Amino acid sequence: MTIKALIPSVVLGAVFAVPAFAQENMDKLSKMQRTDATFTYVEQSGERADALKAIVPHIKVPDGFEVSLYAVVPDARSMAVAPQGTVTFVGTRKDKVWSVVDRDRDRIADEVKDFAPSVTFDIPNGPCFSPDGFLFIAERNRVLTFPAAEFFFEGPDPAVGEVVAQGKLIPAEEESFNHTARVCRVGPDGKLYISLGQPHNVQPVEKHEMYDKIGIGGIIRMNTDGSGREVYTRGIRNSVGHDFNPANGELWFTDNQVDGMGDDIPPGELNRQTSAGQHFGFPWTNGGVDIPAYKEVARPEGVEFVEPQVNMDAHAADLGMRFYTKGSFPEKYHGGIFSAQHGSWNRTTPVGARVMFTTLDEEGNAAGTEVFADGWLNGETGEYRGRPMDIAFLPDGSMLVSDDFAGAIWRISYKSGMSQ
Amino acid sequence: MRLATLTILGGLMLAGITPAMAGDPVEGQKVARMCQTCHGIDGLARIPLAPNIGGEPKDYLEAQLMAFKTGAREHEMMTVVAASLSAQQISDVAAWYASHTASAELADGVSAEDAPSACVSCHGADGISVALNAPNLAGEATTYIVTQLKAFRLGQRKHEIMSEIAAGLSDEEIRAVSDWYANVHLTIVKEE
Repeated sequence: MTIKALIPSVVLGAVFAVPAFAQENMDKLSKMQRTDATFTYVEQSGERADALKAIVPHIKVPDGFEVSLYAVVPDARSMAVAPQGTVTFVGTRKDKVWSVVDRDRDRIADEVKDFAPSVTFDIPNGPCFSPDGFLFIAERNRVLTFPAAEFFFEGPDPAVGEVVAQGKLIPAEEESFNHTARVCRVGPDGKLYISLGQPHNVQPVEKHEMYDKIGIGGIIRMNTDGSGREVYTRGIRNSVGHDFNPANGELWFTDNQVDGMGDDIPPGELNRQTSAGQHFGFPWTNGGVDIPAYKEVARPEGVEFVEPQVNMDAHAADLGMRFYTKGSFPEKYHGGIFSAQHGSWNRTTPVGARVMFTTLDEEGNAAGTEVFADGWLNGETGEYRGRPMDIAFLPDGSMLVSDDFAGAIWRISYKSGMSQ
Repeated sequence: MRLATLTILGGLMLAGITPAMAGDPVEGQKVARMCQTCHGIDGLARIPLAPNIGGEPKDYLEAQLMAFKTGAREHEMMTVVAASLSAQQISDVAAWYASHTASAELADGVSAEDAPSACVSCHGADGISVALNAPNLAGEATTYIVTQLKAFRLGQRKHEIMSEIAAGLSDEEIRAVSDWYANVHLTIVKEE
């Protein structure tokens, strides 16, 4: 059965005009030609913004810090602050990447519009920058790059290149489910690191070898032109946050753990990787808890599972994370990790919806984790006011927290006059 | 097309696909606390990967939950949730969400005549279901519909009618159909 048999040709013209142009737009953009795409702007004042501002007093932070609404950004997921700090790019689990601009530097965004409206995105969750200003966007099953995005985002037709073509990140038949929100970072070695969640709660036994080979349930790395792809991290379930320790270049990542084993196991994970190819235990173990379905399945030979550095509350959904490399927060936060807990979705008593802080010791191990910010979860009704998803830092050292439930970016700053 | 569809659906129900139990919406509201983080207590989705389920036909909701429970349909979250529900709880929670009313409004300047005609006989031009075992599509996130159509195309999700329709669709056509319904404005209200 073809679509033409189902839909009159007149309708085809009207309904299918946009996608027919989508690939054409990609071709045009890669040749630096113009399309006729137009921007979608997000209103930054009015009812929506006022409703979000009413959430601010509920958010608890340590003494000396304050919380404000930075921007109204629908479905806000992973963030990338551009090297010059002019604009922050924000991914979604829908089909938009937002550019968030604070032109007058009053620390409140004055313009939010979609980035590259001429490109048809598919779950563009993960933006990240190289130090020389290339923006990468990891989608469900494609990776694009936008040179000098910080300067070209003002026009609807930024130059674009394909790092990984559509359908080449993972086999198309593995892309249908959840766990397809990618995160990327450019590492100290200049390579692009992309997390690939495995699509199941626990993958079927017959799939684990194939997944391990491709890097599904892992983190892959490649050159920024897409060549030299290899599996860097093995044995994770669904990581939606990773970052490099600026002190020694080691990769740290969060991992979300198995559902259906009860309210209190297995714990969420924060992991430290010290060399390429290390295995973190999944689907055999989760934070020291054995997964029943893999009890009888042979473990990979000659491989020692790396234990998590931090066991977080079960089901709190640890997602985006970033090392604090700026100066304006007090000394205790320097060189530590801020991570976002999205909050549980089916725990009897909900937990999470917070920003956590983990401090490191001199050997580079985790040395304690505490709640940094919470209050997005209404403890009385179990309802969310918001759900933190990712952490980023502005050049002034203040923190941005993306929230895909409220559709906002929150800013947490240390009060001036009290720092340094 | 419409007549054929209804005949097939009638056959399905006679074959006992749905448990056809009486559901209590008051009990169902309690069960729905397990659903609200993703689907909302009123059935208006809170995350893009979850569908809107308020005002959905009860038969459709029950059939899908039973499919997740039996493994006929798989999803890494829903499989876990449905496994913990009894048949009675499934009927109750389906009754709760079905006790809402969904209504839809096409965007300004959009004509119902341009709706994808392969879909309208079951899902309506505005994405409000006109068949007992078809879901509403109005206001569903593009990514959700795309994901489902691709699952039908790959055989990961199966349905007598949808598997065949999806098999003939290209990626671009799937995207266009999904965009059509995603652009409809959906309202869900609880009937008093």
